Amino acid sequence: MDFNSIHQRLLAINAPGVLSADTPRAADPEDKADKGRAGEAFVLIDRSEALNFLLAVRDDAELAFDMLVDLTGTDPDAEDEDLWLNLHLLSLAHGHRLAVKAMVPKANAVVPSMVAAHMAAHYHERECSEMFGIHFEGNPDLRNILLPDDWIGFPLRKDYEFPKEYHGVSCE
Amino acid sequence: MMIRTKELTPITQRHPRPLNGSARQTMSLLQNSFEENVLTTKVDWLLNWARLSSIWPMTFGLACCAIEMMAVGAAHHDIDRFGAGAFRATPRQADLMIVAGTVNFKMGERVKRLYDQMPSPKYVIAMGACATGGGPYYKYGYTVMKGVDRIIPVDVYIAGCPPRPEALLEGLMKLQDKIRNTSVIRKPARTA
Repeated sequence: MDFNSIHQRLLAINAPGVLSADTPRAADPEDKADKGRAGEAFVLIDRSEALNFLLAVRDDAELAFDMLVDLTGTDPDAEDEDLWLNLHLLSLAHGHRLAVKAMVPKANAVVPSMVAAHMAAHYHERECSEMFGIHFEGNPDLRNILLPDDWIGFPLRKDYEFPKEYHGVSCE
Repeated sequence: MMIRTKELTPITQRHPRPLNGSARQTMSLLQNSFEENVLTTKVDWLLNWARLSSIWPMTFGLACCAIEMMAVGAAHHDIDRFGAGAFRATPRQADLMIVAGTVNFKMGERVKRLYDQMPSPKYVIAMGACATGGGPYYKYGYTVMKGVDRIIPVDVYIAGCPPRPEALLEGLMKLQDKIRNTSVIRKPARTA
């Protein structure tokens, strides 16, 4: 299925949390300010319905998104109030893919854990949690993977301030 | 070599060896063991020769520099020609720590602990830009330690990213030169 068919199917089965869809387009030659949109077509969902959305598209026979390829975050700008949560899904049965995004406010970065839908989400959520400070509610073990346990701050946020020292060793 | 110019007094009548602290044990290895008219100048040469000819490194690869270190250990460059080919998997049997790669803060504490577990005399080579001063991670590497010399004393720094195998051999020979010029008898070889 191509992206439009997938989107139509999402609406037909009334998948929870679907807000809108966006596809890449060329820039309008008449409008100088319009730069178009590059990248991949994606579906925007409500973050609180992320788990229910994944369960719905996994169990639907026509969509059958049975593999979570990636789960990451993005911080587009230090000024922005929201982080992006990016999910990449693949259907091994049908061979089609889908990119899913959800906006997560920095002030209240809480998302339901997606481990119940895909075990692959577990380590991705842990890394996303330590790097972006997104709390995945319901993850069975949300310890740090890469950073030390007592690390302060979320390094991949744009407003991250580098530490001056760590355990008595200067970072300058 | 030692030249004995007259008969030694029996061992029971010699001065007792001072054993106050481990740092002085090396120094007092030969101290007070002979009469004053025994020449010991060549012992330095002998001990240094023994040390520099069998520097056993610790297996310690942290990043891409370790690939070059493995190349040095393999047949083409063959660090065994200089007596330093016996890579030990434990710090207890190693004389040399080749810090081959990026040291971040989480690893840095382990590096320090491994260094403390090595028996003296012990030597450290900082291989490559990362171990020397942070390298390409200097500005934006929030978890990278800007030089392993912030936690352990380094004897030889090797430039390069990563250094060629020949550069590591050169670094080893610089370390051998350093050992060759130390004096065990007259003063402590090293204040670690």
